[in-house]
Amino acid sequence: MKNREAVIEKMKSITGPDWVLTELEQTLGYLYDETEPLLRPKADETCLVVKPGSPEEIAAIMTYATESSVPVFPRGGGTGLCGAAIPTLPGIVLSLERLNKIVELDEDNLMITVEAGVTLEQLNAFLSKENDLFFPVHPGDEGAQVGGMAVENAGGVGAVKHGIMRNHIKGMEVVLPTGEVVMMGGKLLKNNMGYDLLHLMIGSEGTLGVVTKVILRLYPRLAYKGTLLISFETRQAAAKSVSQILKQGMVPLAMEYIDRSASQEAADHLGLTWPAEKGSVDLMLILEESTEDDLFDNTEKIVDICDANGAVDSLIAETGKEQKVILDIRSNVYTSFKEKAADAIDMAVPPAHFPAFLDELMQVVDQYGTQSPTVGHIGDGNIHNIILMVDGKLPDYFEEMRQAMYEVAIRFGGTVSAEHGTGRTRKAFMPLQFSHREIQIMQLVKRAFDPAMILNPGVFFDEPNGTESGLTGIH
Amino acid sequence: MNPAHPSILIVAEPQGQQPHPVAYELLHKGRQLADARQATLDVLLCGTPGMETASLIHRGADRVYLMEDPCFALPEEQIFVAQMTAFLKELKPEVILTGATSFGRSLAPRLAAALNTGLTADCTDLHMDENGRLVQTRPAFSENILANIMTDTLPQMATVRYQEFPQAMPNPEHQGEVVRLPLPLPVPDTGVVIEKLRQLEVDITKASVVVSGGRGLKQQDDFAMLRELARTLGGEVGASRTVVEDGFISKDHQVGYSGHRVKPQVYIACGISGSPQHLAGMKEADVIVAINTDPSAPIFQVADVGIVGDLYEVVPQMIRRYGGTWPVL
Amino acid sequence: MHIIVLMKEVPDMEKVRFDTEKGVIDRKSAGTEVNPFDLNALEAAVQLKESAGATVTALCMGPPQAEKSLKEALSRGADEALLLSDTAFGGSDTWATARTLAAAIGKIGTYDAIFAGEKTVDGDTGQVGAQVAQLLALPLVSYAESLCWEEGTGLAAVVSLWDGFYRKTVTGKGLFTFTKTANTPRLPGVRDKMKARKAVIPCWKLADLAGHLDASETGFSGSPTKVKRIVIPPAPQRQGQCYRDALPEALDQLETLLKSKHLLKEVEA
Repeated sequence: MKNREAVIEKMKSITGPDWVLTELEQTLGYLYDETEPLLRPKADETCLVVKPGSPEEIAAIMTYATESSVPVFPRGGGTGLCGAAIPTLPGIVLSLERLNKIVELDEDNLMITVEAGVTLEQLNAFLSKENDLFFPVHPGDEGAQVGGMAVENAGGVGAVKHGIMRNHIKGMEVVLPTGEVVMMGGKLLKNNMGYDLLHLMIGSEGTLGVVTKVILRLYPRLAYKGTLLISFETRQAAAKSVSQILKQGMVPLAMEYIDRSASQEAADHLGLTWPAEKGSVDLMLILEESTEDDLFDNTEKIVDICDANGAVDSLIAETGKEQKVILDIRSNVYTSFKEKAADAIDMAVPPAHFPAFLDELMQVVDQYGTQSPTVGHIGDGNIHNIILMVDGKLPDYFEEMRQAMYEVAIRFGGTVSAEHGTGRTRKAFMPLQFSHREIQIMQLVKRAFDPAMILNPGVFFDEPNGTESGLTGIH
Repeated sequence: MNPAHPSILIVAEPQGQQPHPVAYELLHKGRQLADARQATLDVLLCGTPGMETASLIHRGADRVYLMEDPCFALPEEQIFVAQMTAFLKELKPEVILTGATSFGRSLAPRLAAALNTGLTADCTDLHMDENGRLVQTRPAFSENILANIMTDTLPQMATVRYQEFPQAMPNPEHQGEVVRLPLPLPVPDTGVVIEKLRQLEVDITKASVVVSGGRGLKQQDDFAMLRELARTLGGEVGASRTVVEDGFISKDHQVGYSGHRVKPQVYIACGISGSPQHLAGMKEADVIVAINTDPSAPIFQVADVGIVGDLYEVVPQMIRRYGGTWPVL
Repeated sequence: MHIIVLMKEVPDMEKVRFDTEKGVIDRKSAGTEVNPFDLNALEAAVQLKESAGATVTALCMGPPQAEKSLKEALSRGADEALLLSDTAFGGSDTWATARTLAAAIGKIGTYDAIFAGEKTVDGDTGQVGAQVAQLLALPLVSYAESLCWEEGTGLAAVVSLWDGFYRKTVTGKGLFTFTKTANTPRLPGVRDKMKARKAVIPCWKLADLAGHLDASETGFSGSPTKVKRIVIPPAPQRQGQCYRDALPEALDQLETLLKSKHLLKEVEA
């Protein structure tokens, strides 16, 4: 920043001096997210961290940033996996952590309004205490903030029945880069006027505006919930069973695929035990029904299908604690591989193509003579493969193998990233998935929202060259 | 026995050649009950030969009934219960209190069953009602409720939570009597063979005080300072994920979503900003103390006592103030 | 070998709600489940059945619907299940419960070991196991953290008591209570669960225990301890005091706090 001191003074005048961090030992915790260390870009260590307490303060910060061409990097829980929260230019890291109130629970409309900094854990704790409603999206790390989950369009376990963030967000209060505060959408189930800016904002990764409030749709909790663990000897047998289950019209809350090597690694990491012992891969299915008989009827049908495909064991967890152990282990696969993973891939294909896609993917992995521990939201056709480090470094074949994997996904009509996002680490693959003209339109959209190009530069598109401030923009 | 003076009796558990300190806490509460009831305050101590008893007298015991024998060298409840029962059936105390340590919680139910009386577990308060009967207060349903319980039969027996009451202060002037008892019975063959394997290890989930370090610690060696504070307060050392991943300390010490969940009486967070991952592991502590240079750190939002300051200044002062040692630089 | 596992059905503690103002526990708000520690006891028994050969009987005292927990035990590897259910047993404290269980065990007659959880999560007393042991004059091994069996020696458990870990080996019959660290209870197999759901659970009433238990020894009338009053304390609030440039004051307040919790060792004023 040309004049760091002036920016600091301005920020202190807006938020009060306590809420501006300037020393590296204080800001360090705000410079990175959970992106793989070998892939993430280096953060600019001169960035300050500002913690505004209201949308009005954010509006004042944005107005100043636009006028003075100071980059702003919005930050939620820092649990992202695409480097979207890593500030790569000198500027302001804008932490939403103080906007952490549950604003309103509307039980009649089945909706809840929360501030952007409310964490998933806070939301779930509130809902489990207050009423019989629940929010279905669970991206694994409950430290994620709702605002971050919205702009990253998070998915995770539980999307098979209810979908991803995009399916549950009905309205958002947003501070635009130019300083205006707008309300996009509302407590509406139908809303058909004009362009849908709300859905443009969802998944925009902090490049179009700063989300300050989110209206989420809630669902009644059904009384009987069970988690099935069904074990197989082969990936193919597991994958085949999934499409047959879905075709029978059963819609579990979650359908997860997990290599045993991955679940055991995660269980060891947490000091827990993965309940399944037979076989080498597992399907984890969460069922939720309104009667106990329905739960067991569906369980029986599912196990019949899996057995016909050669399942070697099937277990059921019914207590809250036992179900949580399984979910916790599943959610911590990524964390447990952190020291070994060069990259955790996030591809998706149309669900029915999944078995064929998986076969081809594993052929690619075999060609390089390596292993790729695999977990995935198999019911959504979304898979996470871990490319392992070799001697603590990216392997020689890393770029080549990853490219080959992505090309398989695209050939099946798939995507490079299903839920982790583009951010700073996957933007190079935009041309693999989009035409030149599509990318050009996206850039024009960005400029329409953010004429000074100050908000989260470096996400989706490269930062403009050689400028500290007074960014010239992209043409 | 003097029927004019009923007895409030404390069962003291041996810790080596000393009474376990929970007995001193029971003497504090027991004195109040004995005064309310105009009873004598007695202690029954079973241990190996050479037990120290003066501390019990100084802290208010009127009589210490002492049974010394090598048969008390190992934690075998059956032997303790058999010998105690024979004596207690003679003494007929009105109230018997036992510390709710692991051993006490295992011994007292057998003793109550042998004396054919009721037992209330893990009490956090006790008082005498107007009729001179013992009102026992205990938490239940995972601490969510407090129940007041009374016992219809005699003796009225309760186990009492450790570290719930202050210790009775020692008064060297206090007079009391040590009554040595021979073993009432031959040592029974209980059908149990016991051998000691090893000493206890670190378990931060059971510690009453956890002193945790985070990013604010500059180097691995600085954990020594936190260890000294933990030692001073009788606690253990914890850590945030960052410093565990940096290799400062083993994962056994990690507090948080992907570490241990702790619920100590006091949690002292030193140089920890308080990420949601960390808060998930410690927010149920009774008291949270936070020390951080950053006044905006989220940890201050959950702290009972927040100190905005440098842990390298604050922690040494805490150590010296609370009875530990740390050099002044 | 015949092992009897004592079980209790408890409310799901994560879901029970407490009305602080009315002082009421809303048990209906929570589902019920097998006391989690009892699953460790059952798992220890089933592991023994697999390694050394044993018959496992799950024994539960409770209302008629507690048969659900016994079906759960069957699906997790118990061979037999028996429910003790009678309005006459209602209101039992730990002593009356122990006498009722001991009477039923007396009627069952043959057994080699009794396993139980370290405590229940609702009552949280940990007394019933020890009292059953005293009533049956059995050796007691509390807080078993692991269990092994050797032909000719007996059952041995590692327990944590006093200042360390001890191995306690019981040569004859004995009663063991288990901690959560003893093992990880297995999940029921789906097929076993389906089978157990259809099982018919035998139930003994007071009359079935004639000769082993008198009506005066069980239920409310057989209970020497009585709950007089229940208070639901409000959830504690954080004090939220923050000190800046006021270290001496902060240390003063902290000292008061530490003293109130008896964590300072006689620091003389």
